[in-house]
Amino acid sequence: MHSIIQPNSWVALKLPSGVTKVIQIAPNTTISLGKYGAFPSNLVIGRPYHLTFELQDKAADEDFSRLRVVPASELHAEAIAEEEAAEGSTPTAAVNDSIISARDGEEFSLVDDKGNVVARSNREIIDDNAAQKLTQDEIEELKREGNNAGKDVIAKLLLSHTAIEQKTSFSLAKYKLLKTKKYIRRFQVLPIDVASFAQWQLEERDANKIMDMRAEMIGLVGCWGNVHYGGEEQMLADPNVTTHQGADALVPVNKDLLSGRYLVVDDTCGLLVAALAERMGILYPEEEDEQKAGEANGESAEQEPEPKQEQEPETTKTNDDINMTDAATTEPASTPNKQRNKPKRANHGKPRPSDFAVPFSQTNTITVVHSASQPNLSLLNYWNFDIAAPNHPPHPLLNHLLNLSWLQLLKPELDTTYSTPPPTASPEVLESWKPSRRGNFHRKRRRYARIRHIVDATRAGGFQGLICASSMDPISIVKHTLPLLAGGAPVAIYSPFIEPLAALADCFSVPRRTAWTSGAATEIEGKTLEELEYWEGNERFPLNPTLLQGVSIQTSRARRWQVLPQRTHPLMTERGGADGYVFTAWRARPAEGRIEARGKFKRGAPGGKKVMTLRTEGGERSSTPTAGETPAADEGVEADAAAAAKRKRTDALSTLDTEGAVAEAAAVEVDAEEEITSPTKKRKVVPEEL
Amino acid sequence: MEPLTEDTLPQVSPFLDPGNGTKVNSLAILQLSRDNLLPVYLQPPTQGHDGYAEGAVVNTRYGSFPHSTMTNIPWGSQIRASKVDTGSRGRNNKRKRAKGDEAGKEDSTPAITAEEEKPQTNDGEIAAAAVREAVADSSGFIHILPPTPEVWTSSLPHRTQVVYTPDYSYVLHRIRARPGSVLIEAGAGSGSFTHASVRAVYNGYPSSETAPPSQQTKKKGKVYSFEFHEQRFRKMKQELTDHHLDGLVHLTHRDVCEGGFLTDDGASPGADAVFLDLPAPWDALPHLSRRNPKNPADETWVSPLNPNKSVHLCTFSPCIEQVTKTVSAMRRLGWVDIDMVEIANRKYHASRERVGLNLSTDRGVNVSARDVDEALARLTEIETRFKEHAENVARQMSDDEDESMVLDAEEYDQSGIGPREGVKEERRARKQRLLKEAAGLSQNEAAATTATSPSTTPSWMEGRLITRGEPEIKTHTSYLVFAILPREWTEEDEAAAAAKYPVVGPQRVVGVVDKAARKQERREQLQKLSGNRKARRKERDEQLAGAGAAV
Repeated sequence: MHSIIQPNSWVALKLPSGVTKVIQIAPNTTISLGKYGAFPSNLVIGRPYHLTFELQDKAADEDFSRLRVVPASELHAEAIAEEEAAEGSTPTAAVNDSIISARDGEEFSLVDDKGNVVARSNREIIDDNAAQKLTQDEIEELKREGNNAGKDVIAKLLLSHTAIEQKTSFSLAKYKLLKTKKYIRRFQVLPIDVASFAQWQLEERDANKIMDMRAEMIGLVGCWGNVHYGGEEQMLADPNVTTHQGADALVPVNKDLLSGRYLVVDDTCGLLVAALAERMGILYPEEEDEQKAGEANGESAEQEPEPKQEQEPETTKTNDDINMTDAATTEPASTPNKQRNKPKRANHGKPRPSDFAVPFSQTNTITVVHSASQPNLSLLNYWNFDIAAPNHPPHPLLNHLLNLSWLQLLKPELDTTYSTPPPTASPEVLESWKPSRRGNFHRKRRRYARIRHIVDATRAGGFQGLICASSMDPISIVKHTLPLLAGGAPVAIYSPFIEPLAALADCFSVPRRTAWTSGAATEIEGKTLEELEYWEGNERFPLNPTLLQGVSIQTSRARRWQVLPQRTHPLMTERGGADGYVFTAWRARPAEGRIEARGKFKRGAPGGKKVMTLRTEGGERSSTPTAGETPAADEGVEADAAAAAKRKRTDALSTLDTEGAVAEAAAVEVDAEEEITSPTKKRKVVPEEL
Repeated sequence: MEPLTEDTLPQVSPFLDPGNGTKVNSLAILQLSRDNLLPVYLQPPTQGHDGYAEGAVVNTRYGSFPHSTMTNIPWGSQIRASKVDTGSRGRNNKRKRAKGDEAGKEDSTPAITAEEEKPQTNDGEIAAAAVREAVADSSGFIHILPPTPEVWTSSLPHRTQVVYTPDYSYVLHRIRARPGSVLIEAGAGSGSFTHASVRAVYNGYPSSETAPPSQQTKKKGKVYSFEFHEQRFRKMKQELTDHHLDGLVHLTHRDVCEGGFLTDDGASPGADAVFLDLPAPWDALPHLSRRNPKNPADETWVSPLNPNKSVHLCTFSPCIEQVTKTVSAMRRLGWVDIDMVEIANRKYHASRERVGLNLSTDRGVNVSARDVDEALARLTEIETRFKEHAENVARQMSDDEDESMVLDAEEYDQSGIGPREGVKEERRARKQRLLKEAAGLSQNEAAATTATSPSTTPSWMEGRLITRGEPEIKTHTSYLVFAILPREWTEEDEAAAAAKYPVVGPQRVVGVVDKAARKQERREQLQKLSGNRKARRKERDEQLAGAGAAV
């Protein structure tokens, strides 16, 4: 991520009104901010992010506004002045020197009695417009005739407000803020990273498009999915196949080399992928030395008139060749005809990899499974990555983003690309062809090798995590992806609504799992663990309930506060909409055979009975008085089951209702003669594999 | 606990790359129940550890688990409890174990306890015996998980208030902690944020001599962590070594409010992001400036920040007064985009709400009417039976007035206490007869019989699927104040940039443009598009014609 605004990069312009504009900063253009004015893009290119610029009045001999960097002390002048006033240590002169700081020699001085105004009742406050003496025409006139970046307008508005003395200090501050937002000609340039982009997309663009995914959720999903840098890039050696070698010359997938891979289902148009790629360090081009980068860009801006790609996100691509879209991940300029035309540019001194060279890293990768024939990752365009672009310029995602459809994952034999053997031709025949035909030939072979590698590597499993934000039913996603996860791998599924996640969690509910492990599920008898990993599901058991551990659903919400001297409080309104929930769990590897749960229990029930202690958040509910037990972390399934339990005529209570080990026990009561170590129901413990 | 020696160290921390399975001398997290996690350093099978024939053993309320059964197995595995003779060894230090409670604490985390116990066991008789193969027990199991900052956060030994996942996930996202970032953390505390931030900034260990020169240049992410409390510092240091994070976390024992954020040799960390979990962050903030805040002209002053980047900062304070002071200090020190939030996290449990008169009589079932229809059916049934009873009594009275007058009168009185009581009495006495008599009222009958017979639906599918919040929620953790310090931008920088990107000529307008300009642009675009299409079609036609001619 660059700290300097690069030519042609996407940036967010934050305006005083709070509106953010996301634009691509092309050099030698004029950027218009609407009512706040316009300025040449070259005045911000090469400058750092996060500075606040002020549009100055046009100089006499220039037809554009120059920019001035506003120091932070000026941005905060008002708040600092208020603080000082509140402390009572400073004379009112300091207060007057607030943000609308009239320059020395200006003919007006600003509301010098403002500091003296004490709080009054709101009754006296007159409607803002009625009290304002300046007419709209006069204001427009003021705006036209150069006005010190809008500050003069604001100052005059305040001065000509007839009821300014009647305002309380709070309402005055509010009035000033209102006018400042409207007239001050300032803006700030923010980099487009996942955090700022997601916020813009959520609050000012189409929240539906990113499934209402707020920053809190992006953070949670990334952390619970344990998404992080997965190791140095590792490429498979080029097999150096010749053109007459067919499918048997493909590089086989070596499962031992695969590591740091994440399986992703993304219906947020690529925001989720971008967030994960950011966490894995593959979203931004590698940072160069600051000075060097600056120079290089400077030169290009001066000398070349931008041979730049005209990528506009969300504008339809004019793909004149459908086949070209398949070449999305080939190196730039590796098509043979191009190479012939401009051999110098294409080769960069390196020999062109053979058709069956795998263009993907074996580590630190994101594998996206998509439900359409092409993945929808259009938002990645904002990071200058276009999944559909052939001959893509270098981008770290090229080697690290693998995508395949559900068909290719689950029924690859039905997929044409996967199952059609690659064309072969001897070098002589090849030489006789037209360049375009030869190009197609190579493209097909490369595409075949690519798809083969993606599908085979994905089906080999061993993923480090599953991260989803999908409108599809999570149960169906989990059913097909769980077998692909390594043991202990985290699962993090985002949904804007809780219901689908609750249904998913219910598949792993304690009673369901108990029934499964205790042998009550007749349908799984005689099946091996491997077969059960690929359990196709039925009505009683939609998923194999033993494949996930620690199932949990959570949500987070950030509440924003206004922090101002004497006026600190939470914001009055915030964006509503879908709350967003995250389902988390870990992939478990169930032990072979039947397995019983065990919990702690205490002796001492009268009549020679040992009664299990029931642990819930409310302490123990048991007919045995037991002391000294701390309430265990609890599933809280039956938080107030006490009332229900009372109604029951069972004279003993069921088992611990914690999850995991204990929870599986469904026993109620243990006879005196039963062994201490098996306080569960008297089930026979017969290893199933026998 | 065995001290970990240099040669047994795997290269990469299990937090960053746990590998395929558990390894000796490495950290693993035992999941006892969903929220009950226990960190354990797996030990090699040395005989007679702590008096156990199986080597080191973790005792939990779900059984005993010798380390040998948990080593070299895939992560996520379910592990059966083993039959461990806790009895004979327990006699030596029974009292202590009784205090030690169920979680097997004596074997796991605190190194001190383990060392204390060792001499005792060496006195014992088993020391020479061979390590016994663990025998699976008939019940009890746990799962073994690879360590991640999340499980570590919920299982770590608390030393201070912990920064939990909902907070740190949001903070790291907001302060742009990414692979390659350098992060300053002050107030290491219990280390939860440290672990999470290491994962966020990790992009390889600092390059050794073996790394190819191309990768030497890549900026490596690092966390500079400061802790002023000496005991916590020492524990933290040990923890980092145990977790193989030494090369990635630079831990310093210092009060940053006094001493600032430079390394001990006065070098600048060059931080891109800062997280302050301090009681008085405003005292530490002046150290996080670009220039000496007291004397900006001071050239000898070294800033701990990355001079080429905007620095993102987050402070973590529980009280609003702290926030006010912090924000005030930030404003004076040139921080911008100051934003304060607090995070409210809630967990939900999915469960089945089972309400109904005809459900199986498990625990958790609310035996009351599921809906008005069910209530109505039941009331009708009761009413009918009461009526029948009254009729019966009346009939009997008239039939056998002489013989059973006294008896029936008594009975009537009894049932007269309340209709419900009466019906119950009646049901108990003459259930069979009543059932037959009520055969005409089939609907009521059906309701009555199903109430007693269990339904065929398994209990886990009965009822309505609901979600319920956890019984106790954290309503406030801390206030998070975010701010950004843009890089310094001097007159010379501006002049250089202006020279590089001069403003030239009349320019195309982008961004917010007026309607006329927009229309004109659209018109040009359309024209360009259609022109292209036509040209393309023409080209294709020519090609086809050419191909046809060739054939």
